[in-house]
Amino acid sequence: MSTPKSGNALDALLGRMKAAASPLREALLEIHGQYAPVMDGVVASYIPELALADPNWFGLSVVTVDGQSVDVGDHQQTFTIQSVSKPLIFGLALEDQGREAVLAKVGVEPTGEAFNSIELDEVSNRPYNPMVNAGAIATADLVAGKDLPDRVKRMLAMFGRYVGHPVHVDNGVYMSERSTGHRNRAIGHLMLNFGMISDRVDDTLDLYFQQCSVLVTAHDLAMVGATLANGGVNPVTGERALRQEFVRDLLSVMYTCGMYDSAGQWVYEVGLPAKSGVGGGIVAVVPGKLGIGLFSPPLDSKGNSVRGVGACVELARRFGLHLFESGFTGPDIVGELNPRRARGSG
Amino acid sequence: MATIVSVHSFRGGTGKSNSTANLASLCAQQGYRVAIVDTDIQSPGVHVLFGIDEAQAPRCLNDFLWGTCRIDEAAVDVTPVLEGGVEPVAGRLFVVPSSIKSDEIGRVLRDGYDVGRLNDGFRALIKSLALDLLFIDTHPGVNEETLLSLAISDLLVLIMRPDAQDYQGTAVTLELARRLEVPEILLTVNKVPPSLDAVKLRVDVARTFGVEVAGVLPLNLEMVEVASGGVFVTRYPEHPFTRELRVIAGRITVAAAPAARRA
Ligand SMILES: Nc1ncnc2c1ncn2[C@@H]1O[C@H](COP(=O)(O)OP(=O)(O)O)[C@@H](O)[C@H]1O
Ligand SMILES: [Mg+2]
Repeated sequence: MSTPKSGNALDALLGRMKAAASPLREALLEIHGQYAPVMDGVVASYIPELALADPNWFGLSVVTVDGQSVDVGDHQQTFTIQSVSKPLIFGLALEDQGREAVLAKVGVEPTGEAFNSIELDEVSNRPYNPMVNAGAIATADLVAGKDLPDRVKRMLAMFGRYVGHPVHVDNGVYMSERSTGHRNRAIGHLMLNFGMISDRVDDTLDLYFQQCSVLVTAHDLAMVGATLANGGVNPVTGERALRQEFVRDLLSVMYTCGMYDSAGQWVYEVGLPAKSGVGGGIVAVVPGKLGIGLFSPPLDSKGNSVRGVGACVELARRFGLHLFESGFTGPDIVGELNPRRARGSG
Repeated sequence: MATIVSVHSFRGGTGKSNSTANLASLCAQQGYRVAIVDTDIQSPGVHVLFGIDEAQAPRCLNDFLWGTCRIDEAAVDVTPVLEGGVEPVAGRLFVVPSSIKSDEIGRVLRDGYDVGRLNDGFRALIKSLALDLLFIDTHPGVNEETLLSLAISDLLVLIMRPDAQDYQGTAVTLELARRLEVPEILLTVNKVPPSLDAVKLRVDVARTFGVEVAGVLPLNLEMVEVASGGVFVTRYPEHPFTRELRVIAGRITVAAAPAARRA
């Protein structure tokens, strides 16, 4: 695990220049160029604010556990985090309540059901996992705080530690989610009815709608991934975003349940813990190495960014990132950050 | 794969732009495909030596950095300028100028740009023009363009005058170049007054900095007269100063040869 290089501005600047000059940047550009022309998928439109996204937006970022980053395309374009927030809220709940209390309220079993399914595990009386909406609402319920504003403040501060700067809620998206989120409201009240969540259900739904409406960039998501890859410490600020003991909890549910109901295909093909959101964002984690942030609004039928999935598949293939890969003889992705790594003839 | 040569000095007016233009021209005359990118965004100048005006260069590096054109669209083929010399030119020479419009210079300084894009531009230019050699003319001192150019260059041509301030600055640049692992560094002492013993100066400088001194170039009155109105080596192909420069150019192409030798 790396420690922050605070105070050494020159080191940071030289690091930035090396990353900008690195073969990894060229590889990301190539992958970006390969998927940018893909016009498949549709932009989410269940609320009008999301439909405003430009379908051409496509950003790609990598941040290493040393805090080096490579960003290409629309990596500074903001979008709402949506479901990518779910594992992070799960982490906050774990810190607030402890593992045992959290697991009493939400399982860690993947379901083949869609993310917004009302399916609940009646045997254990809890939602299947924190990545489906029901489970996310149950985990949001566990976020501590004396009242709603306090809980929202704690939630935003937590995101801020992952990305390394203060974050904000997109109010348009939030108000829209809030006024049209009948299905989520129904899920919340159904769970209240079963005694699965506490009676502050309206506050919790509000918290949930706000957590989904937090604005991030592809670079921010890569930073989230890098923080999780780095044992819970943001590699640039050196600030801890998540207790080390819970990092594996998050990565495990991301691995098995992170990509909506295409989790099996994802694990087979990419083999990395990841989480996608209907805003077009995807975060993927290479533990001990780096985080990947991808953003492009058009979604496939499962709700995952088409270009994001494609680019991630390609990255994993080129650099042997699949967790079960062994004896890979191709290039090491971290080594590709060194501008002095001999380039192929071209 | 092309060889990337950064031409740099810690202080201004040392002769970076003139050296870049002359060395690049000599390499092109030897048959290499060469380009110069003027990354001295704050005080561009190398275009002047090739007589590039706005009509010839409607686009420039700034447009590329803002994403409004491809970098090769900003490249001007200046090979005909070299053909004013004695021999027909076997290679090619292109220049990517930087904008001299004050508002465009101001905009880059105010808004900055993604320095990674500059690297993307160098790589794209190498590819699309099938370059053997890419020369990067830089702004004096330490800034992002310069550090990036050091980070990617295979060879650094570091220019200094025999001046106490230049000595200090050169030491700073050398430290940065070493930290950015520049594989090869050639030091050139320029504007050496006739009163100084060039041989002794070469030995002293090499000993002070521990790097190869590729050339000791005199203060050249004909060059003062040319006054950046042309490329010296094409105007005075047989001048002793040109012969000195040819030695440095030879040194650069030797460095380039293993990678850039063309079939
Ligand atoms: N060896 C030299 N002898 C005389 N004048 C020179 C010599 N080298 C450069 N000059 C002159 O010095 C001035 C600055 O040169 P230039 O190449 O623009 O420097 P830089 O790009 O480092 O600022 C120009 O007028 C140029 O003609
Ligand atoms: Mg100059």
